[in-house]
Amino acid sequence: MKKKSILLPGLMILIISLVSHTAVAQEHAKQEKLKYAQVKVNGMACPFCAYGLEKKLKAIDGVIKIEIDVENGVASLEFEADKMVDKKTIADAVKKAGFTPDSIIFLAKLPEKETKPEF
Amino acid sequence: MQPCSIYSLQKPNAQRCIYLCVVAVTKFYKDDMIIKMFLIRGILTISILTSVIESYAQGPPVFTDTPILLGLGGRGVRTFGKYISKENANVYIQPLVLPFNITPKLLVGTILPFVSKSPKNGSSQSGLGDLAVFLKYVVQQKDYPGKTIRTLVKVTQRFPTGNNEIIPPLGTGAYQTAFGIVTGYITTKYGIYTELNYNVVSEGQPNQFIYNFAFSYPLLPQQYPPRQLNISADVNGIYVPELSNNTIFLSPGLQWILGRKVLLESGIQLPVMEDVIETERTKFMFLLGIRVLLF
Repeated sequence: MKKKSILLPGLMILIISLVSHTAVAQEHAKQEKLKYAQVKVNGMACPFCAYGLEKKLKAIDGVIKIEIDVENGVASLEFEADKMVDKKTIADAVKKAGFTPDSIIFLAKLPEKETKPEF
Repeated sequence: MQPCSIYSLQKPNAQRCIYLCVVAVTKFYKDDMIIKMFLIRGILTISILTSVIESYAQGPPVFTDTPILLGLGGRGVRTFGKYISKENANVYIQPLVLPFNITPKLLVGTILPFVSKSPKNGSSQSGLGDLAVFLKYVVQQKDYPGKTIRTLVKVTQRFPTGNNEIIPPLGTGAYQTAFGIVTGYITTKYGIYTELNYNVVSEGQPNQFIYNFAFSYPLLPQQYPPRQLNISADVNGIYVPELSNNTIFLSPGLQWILGRKVLLESGIQLPVMEDVIETERTKFMFLLGIRVLLF
């Protein structure tokens, strides 16, 4: 009887911890999958203007790499593996640089450089 | 107070003399042609010294202002050497322009000009010219993919900090307040710019209407980090309503964007119309400069 009373809660704790661990792992995996973003930036008409945009986007906590495509008006961001940045933060950075943010999408990986952005 | 003489008539850019003449001599010779020529020369000199030094931009054009600002917290430095060859003198100007964006739409800045004047018949003078502060505010902005249409208003206040007790003088001896509007239609393929200013001058000197138009065109495909060559063609004009005098320069320019933060530029301004006496005319103006973004 005593053994049963110890085993049951122990089993439950084990199951709960396994479930929660799986949920956290899934969340991490999800975040890892979406560690890139592409921002369509309207009004970016000259490459010398883009430096301010690069600086503002780089200043966002969690952003580790920026690539700017002036021809297509797109900024691509790469995030740290364990950090996610919300759309509002990215949009605010674009506005502070003096441009107008359009669509922002999160991606598992960036499209090949030769192809057009996914908008 | 130095007297205004025929000698000073032969000096280049003799704004002090213009000032003195306006104050003292116009009382007696209001209709005299010489006084009119003095005033015209002063107007031209002021405009030549200041027409391009505000145009800190993030790209083209060279001789006209741009409505694109630096972005929040954006700072920069622009400086250039401008050599002015006149019939009776050579003038060199080296302004240092320091802009700073307070908000994404509001920019303030200062202009510290070094001026050197070498008259062909007289001694040279060098030193600080008339210091200026300016404010720009974007009143309209429409952004589209790869293009933007923007308008800003600007106010420039110049102070008579240049020494005007010497001949040739380095300052105008007058306070000047310029109210302007700058518009631009800028795409990744080309840019069209318009700048209109009305400059109100104290001490009885005539006000000026300054107008600049520019077209700029990138020669290389757009890329980032930038490696770009831009060509621009400007028309820079000054109209003096009080005297009905007009001066127009045609100004081709070239810009070389070396990377994210550095831009080299050069241009020449050739007069196509000058309502001044022959000895006061400008042969050409040459500019060589650099712009650096500091964030």
